[in-house]
Amino acid sequence: MTPPGRARSWDSAPVALLRLDGAGAILDANDTFRSWFDDAGARDLRGTRLSALLSVGGRIYWETHLAPLLRMQGRVEEIAVELRAGGTRRPVLLSAELHGDGDDDDIVINVALFDARERSRFERELMAAHAEAERSAASVRTLLVTTTALARAAGVEGVCEALVHAAVGEFRAESASVWLVDGSGTLTLRARLGDDASVEKPSAALLEATRDAASITDGSGESAAAAAEVVIAPDGQVVVPLHGADTFHGILVLAPRAHAGDDALDRGALAATGQQGGVALDRAVLHEQSVSVAYELQRAMLTEHLPQPERARLSTDYRPAERSLEVGGDWYDAFWVDDVTLALAVGDVVGHGLDSATAMGQLRTVVRSCAESGVGPVEVLARVDRFVQRRGVGFGSTLVYAELDVTTGRLVFACAGHPPPLVTRPDGDAEFLWQGRRRPLGVITATDAPVLPPAAVMADRSGRHSTHLSGPEAGPGVLELRRGDVLWLYTDGMVERRDRSLPTGLEAFARAAAGSPGAAVASELVPSLLGGELNEYDDACVLRLEWDALDTS
Amino acid sequence: MVFAHGFGCDQSMWRLVAPAFEDDFRVVLLDHVGAGGSDLAAYDPDRHASLEGYADDVVELLEELALGPVVFVGHSVSATIALLAAARRPELFDRLVLVGPSPRYVDDVGYRGGFSAQEIEELLETMDANYLGWSAFIAPVIMGSSDRPELGEELTNSFCRTDPAIAKRFARTTFLSDNRADLAAVRTPSLVVQCREDVIAPVEVGEYVHDQLADSKFVLIDAVGHCPNLSAPEELITAMREYLSP
Repeated sequence: MTPPGRARSWDSAPVALLRLDGAGAILDANDTFRSWFDDAGARDLRGTRLSALLSVGGRIYWETHLAPLLRMQGRVEEIAVELRAGGTRRPVLLSAELHGDGDDDDIVINVALFDARERSRFERELMAAHAEAERSAASVRTLLVTTTALARAAGVEGVCEALVHAAVGEFRAESASVWLVDGSGTLTLRARLGDDASVEKPSAALLEATRDAASITDGSGESAAAAAEVVIAPDGQVVVPLHGADTFHGILVLAPRAHAGDDALDRGALAATGQQGGVALDRAVLHEQSVSVAYELQRAMLTEHLPQPERARLSTDYRPAERSLEVGGDWYDAFWVDDVTLALAVGDVVGHGLDSATAMGQLRTVVRSCAESGVGPVEVLARVDRFVQRRGVGFGSTLVYAELDVTTGRLVFACAGHPPPLVTRPDGDAEFLWQGRRRPLGVITATDAPVLPPAAVMADRSGRHSTHLSGPEAGPGVLELRRGDVLWLYTDGMVERRDRSLPTGLEAFARAAAGSPGAAVASELVPSLLGGELNEYDDACVLRLEWDALDTS
Repeated sequence: MVFAHGFGCDQSMWRLVAPAFEDDFRVVLLDHVGAGGSDLAAYDPDRHASLEGYADDVVELLEELALGPVVFVGHSVSATIALLAAARRPELFDRLVLVGPSPRYVDDVGYRGGFSAQEIEELLETMDANYLGWSAFIAPVIMGSSDRPELGEELTNSFCRTDPAIAKRFARTTFLSDNRADLAAVRTPSLVVQCREDVIAPVEVGEYVHDQLADSKFVLIDAVGHCPNLSAPEELITAMREYLSP
């Protein structure tokens, strides 16, 4: 017999107490439990399944987790669920113990429910803060990777590629594409990535919506404002605007992964990526404009119509570096000093870009104006050197300058820090001309010592030693060209590579020049001499002069 | 005979059923990636974002075991996983036993799955509030005190223990997938076991699965809840025996 005091304790216990059958239906509930419902006491909850009184989430949880656990381990403790009681949701902590074995009828489940409204509110705030912290950390990681890639990207194409790679790699999109607006307002596909990369052109309406989306902000904080820039198209594609400081460049379009278990796209980070992409495109466009101007300038300054003396055959070739967006500073020139003297020049201006392109133009003009009849290569270089020292233009640049008497084949030359001229002969011999050397332009050394060639190339391919090593104020090199001789002036892009020493490079160049088939390949001089191994990082320039060509006699 | 558990717990869900078949079958129990004793490192957010990824796991497992065509017993979401695997590789399956199957949990036009998408979000909230056994499991590892004596004991709630992040994704994958269109492709003979009262997979959903399958038998057992493998093992065993007996 239950003492009456204990029965009262059951009903008025400060926790809700329940007895359930094996199927989870209520056999008995105390007053505390009943008081949680509107019609307190009046409503007979007996026969109702406890899970039916839980929120839907709690119900699923009961069926998939708690009921199995009760069967397997006989008890569960401190489970947070919500009761749907009195029109509201009441968070409770649930502990339960199962007694008995076998059929539902033989089983009794004792349940205690603790009101957990305060604790639940506190925990929700904690969890929200925790979730927000995790989201922020993930966003920061994503943005860090993305901005690094954007900062490394060279040119508009590189930025577009970085954007689609970020979309697929970091934001886990199924596919992504970048569409840029050109001057006339039309969209052009610039990059895409992904198995099912969509190539369908976004509609003008969508483009408009994306362009203007940034203005539809509700002022609810920075990330919300940023996220509002991201537009979800009717077909589920996610469209991110690429705004520069003053320009609307275009859009990044993502096809999100659409499986049930996929995490939602981080729209805030995506919008931030769009902003970074816009800035990167600003920079890339500006850079490409500057490169394009420098490139045009350089092209314009390279002499297009070479003089063609009767007894010589002259050809040139220039190749910009493939990998670098920068314009290099290599140049060549050929002009008449007087009726019989042909000047040949090949130079290399230090640096890249617009500055070096303009410096190159000035040097070329200075060389032309210094070269007068009777002055000679040594004095021409000395004058150019003084100009560089005085004006600071083209400091450290190198230059080889030669004058050819087109009636006799007598070559006089001087070399300011530049790779030595090469002569190849019809018998396959090759000789580097180490005479007439001086410092690079504008450079004054303490000792003013002569610039010596590397020991390894002192001996040319014929085994003879070059003897006319000259100091800074030494005389010019002189060579009488013989029938069929070919003179080569070139820049370091032809002989220098990162994976070999300079002597090896010179020797390879001499071999290639000696074996080259003649003027027929003039327009392909650089690639044919480099054997297809174009120098990716440096531009290259060659001037070839064939004296008294054998096949024209 | 291969047993696969549903959403929630692990292979121990079969502790009252599987032993009954050990005399007649070679019995294999599996834990899906992310549950029970599986290698959590094998979880791939891309692959396991859809039930097809889990079906791929089942196919790989059966290929590795090379048992010949098997009887595959799938509870809850594993019933759908089994159907996907059988549609793709029918030669690996002799018969299917589908306990409380549901190809889609969310209501649709002309289809009652039992839940709205918003209610599934509620489930995720509930899961967020309950990291069953996870803190107890992970805490000693973090503190590096592997000599704690309670680790030798069976941890409370360990049957339902899983990485919270994986569990939430598995919940979305389970409850937000729609595999109704895949049923028609299944030719493997199947038994649909339905509980009399089941809020997760209502009777009409079980009947729907039975209707859509080309070759299936429907058995309604007198059990309440979603886990007859624990609450009504005898009824389930009887239904399976009857179906599998020659």
